[in-house]
Amino acid sequence: MSSNGTRASSHRIALGDINPNNLGQLKRINTVIFPINYQPSFYKDVLEVGEFAKIAYFNDVCVAAVCCRKDPTPEATAPHDLYIATLGVLAPYRRLGLGTALLEHILEHAAEDKKIGKVYLHVQTTNEEALAFYKKHGFEQKEKVANYYPNFDDSDAYRLEKVLVQ
Amino acid sequence: MRELPQKEANLFKQILKNYELKQYKKGLKGAEQILKKFPEHGETMAMKGLFYSHLDKKEEAYEFVKKGLRYDLKSHICWHVFGLLYRADKNYEEALKCYTQALRIDKDNMQILRDYSLLQMQLRNYEAYIETRHQLLELRPQNRMYWIGLAVAYHMMGKNDLAVKVLSAYEDSLKDIPTKPDYEHSEMLLYHNSILGEAGDMQVALDHLDSIDKHVCDRRAVREKRAQYLMALDRYEEAEAIYRGLVKENPDNFAYIEGLQKSLKLYFPTTTTTSSSSSPSTPASAPATATAQEQEKILALFDELQKLYPRSNACKRLPLRVATGEAFVRVADAYFQHSLRKGVPSLFVNIKKLYADSDKEKACEKLVLDYEASLKEHGRFDAKSSDSGEKEPPTALLWTLYYIAQHYDYTRQTDKALAYIERAIAHTPTLVELYMTKGRILKHAGKPKEAMEAMNEARELDLQDRFINSKCVKYMLRADKVADAEKTATLFTRVDIADPLNDLVDMQAMWYSLESGESHMRQGQMGKALKRFHQVEKHFFDFTDDQFDFHTYCLRKMTLRSYVALLRLEDQLRTHPYYVRAVKNAVQCYVMMVDKPEGCDTKEMEGMTEAEKKKHRNKQRKAELKAQKEYEERRAQIAADPTKKGKLDEDPEGMKFLKTEDPLGEALKFLRPLQELAPNRIETHLWGFEIYIRKKKLLLALRALLKAHALDANNETLKKQLLRFAEDVKAAKDIKPSVKAVIDNHWATLYGKEAVGH
Repeated sequence: MSSNGTRASSHRIALGDINPNNLGQLKRINTVIFPINYQPSFYKDVLEVGEFAKIAYFNDVCVAAVCCRKDPTPEATAPHDLYIATLGVLAPYRRLGLGTALLEHILEHAAEDKKIGKVYLHVQTTNEEALAFYKKHGFEQKEKVANYYPNFDDSDAYRLEKVLVQ
Repeated sequence: MRELPQKEANLFKQILKNYELKQYKKGLKGAEQILKKFPEHGETMAMKGLFYSHLDKKEEAYEFVKKGLRYDLKSHICWHVFGLLYRADKNYEEALKCYTQALRIDKDNMQILRDYSLLQMQLRNYEAYIETRHQLLELRPQNRMYWIGLAVAYHMMGKNDLAVKVLSAYEDSLKDIPTKPDYEHSEMLLYHNSILGEAGDMQVALDHLDSIDKHVCDRRAVREKRAQYLMALDRYEEAEAIYRGLVKENPDNFAYIEGLQKSLKLYFPTTTTTSSSSSPSTPASAPATATAQEQEKILALFDELQKLYPRSNACKRLPLRVATGEAFVRVADAYFQHSLRKGVPSLFVNIKKLYADSDKEKACEKLVLDYEASLKEHGRFDAKSSDSGEKEPPTALLWTLYYIAQHYDYTRQTDKALAYIERAIAHTPTLVELYMTKGRILKHAGKPKEAMEAMNEARELDLQDRFINSKCVKYMLRADKVADAEKTATLFTRVDIADPLNDLVDMQAMWYSLESGESHMRQGQMGKALKRFHQVEKHFFDFTDDQFDFHTYCLRKMTLRSYVALLRLEDQLRTHPYYVRAVKNAVQCYVMMVDKPEGCDTKEMEGMTEAEKKKHRNKQRKAELKAQKEYEERRAQIAADPTKKGKLDEDPEGMKFLKTEDPLGEALKFLRPLQELAPNRIETHLWGFEIYIRKKKLLLALRALLKAHALDANNETLKKQLLRFAEDVKAAKDIKPSVKAVIDNHWATLYGKEAVGH
């Protein structure tokens, strides 16, 4: 995993569950990375989605997290979509494989869940690094959503999606 | 009257058996059956009381036993039962008296003699214990426990030769020495050997060790002892061989490594002196300091050990103590890099002792500041090798920043410390340790409220960590937020008991008692404060009491080396810092109660007029009443809840302590163990003075002053106390001439020659 030249011996990545006891760490990560103030209901839902919300440890320090939600469907049998609400890595820990580890974890579990048809998310149109990251993992860039992030200077976003092969 | 008819006599024997088998209800029935026919049979009546005490009816128990005793004062059973009752209530002094009575009537009763000796040991009444043990031994010379008990008593009294004699006599009397490994026999022999070692003739001890070698199961103990004796006999090479073997088995055992160093004549307790900053060139001949040549040899030894045992932490850490100058920078550099790369949160704690040497402190500071710069620039610890090798993980910078913050905190450069901890938090805002250190820095900066807030942030990051939860509680108490502290503390107490704070008492959480007591003290709530300090006293009482069962158990199981270690520990128990702190606070509270019976001023009352103070106190009293009412309501609520166990606190305000008739006597009870165990602490005597001067015991006050004066004549508190003493002596009208003479005799010691004419 560590292809960018840090010492392999001191480069351990591990994923962990989110529970009420470490929720504070997740909040801290999201607050620092995303300029959005997530509501308490957001964090309540996070505790309910099981494998679709995770935090990542680098050398035993909590430094990254992903939170998804399942879109509700009109009928119980219809396939539903999985929305990646947040996926973020603290700045000093980027390009070390943590984002990939989290995304791969989500995709793996989404593929196992027969009811999930596709995984999608939004990225600011100007965030080229993120766009490249998701494209590398097989996401397709879809329509542009104007003013998706109303509070930001760059408020437009692209929708990206990955259809899961059943 | 004592003699019962056949039928009842049998029944009485039966109830004695019932007691031994813990069949208390059955026994009680039997006793009542006898009493129906013979209501004044004392022994039965006493037994009835004994059964009651085991059925949780203490008051009736004493009543019946005393009644029984009145019917039959000449019965050893009645006295024995009375003793048992006191013993169960941990009133050992009274129990001892009852046993003495019982033995006067039946002097060879084995059961009573045995119980008697346990009490004597518990009360460290060695002379009497030895007498009892001799008696037991004469009655049953074949019983091992009596021999061993006697030897332990001699040993504890420091009569090693007699202890050895008893053990040897017993060993000689053994007909068949076990041929198979026998743990108990082996422990006895090792115990025998340890006394010889303490006695000081190392050749004798070594020869004995050789002679018992094949019977001993604890092989490692034999090797440790042999190495120790060989060292004392200057047989270094043989000792070295043993220590090398021991280090190989446990390369993280500091004692083994030290032993090895000693056997190579390369051991120096520390190469640093605390005064090294003031005197840069300490004489090279100082015995604790290694010469440059010796230092090189030690470092070479550790190089060798590190290669042999690359996983040993001790072998990496110990060279830091030894090395100085450039050599120190070299070994510290390697140690730091390894620890920061790996992410060792305790790194600073491991290092800070070295800061006693200011050169080392400076060297450490330079190293970590250089790391910081280089890691930021190149991602590597060493700027020079910047284009070779791999980059360090980002956590390396994180732990470096963390270290620097602690470094500046330790050296009390608060602004720098805060700047660095904020930098670390900006780097990785999820790490609990960072907020804890921030709290600590703020605490040292004298900002308890901000410190508490930082600690609470840390707590909220990891709610399942009991350690950080407790830290946070402590910081809340330091900020006098008692209600918040109680709420937070009870997040980790049992949920099924009526009063969750009682769980902290059950767990003997003394840090909590002390911190919360000190907070109540600051807020002028002396009752609550004293309640907490008495709680600590009670815990120490229980620790002392806990040893009781071991007087039998250890002798039976022959764990004698541990037993003696336990006895010695118990004897020193109340020198523990927690106890000393409780004494200090309790004495202060009680003295305050005497000086200001109307209640003392708290911080918020500073600068108030008398009228305002009165108003303030009334307000406080009202608040107390309200709290009391709320408490009663809660109690009713809990009483109605069947899922909650245990009782609520009967006296949460500690009124019992406020209402004491004799506050100074209570204070003295706290202090007494320190007078015995810690006569070399000046505080012992300073606190004693405060009590005695208020009790108008001028001679005892004088004695306290003399002892304090001998320990440190320049102590600031002592100076104030000397003034007060002189005033009190002057003001006292009716000092007895004999007392006056004693005071006059010592006046010059305390006040100097020219001050004689007071």
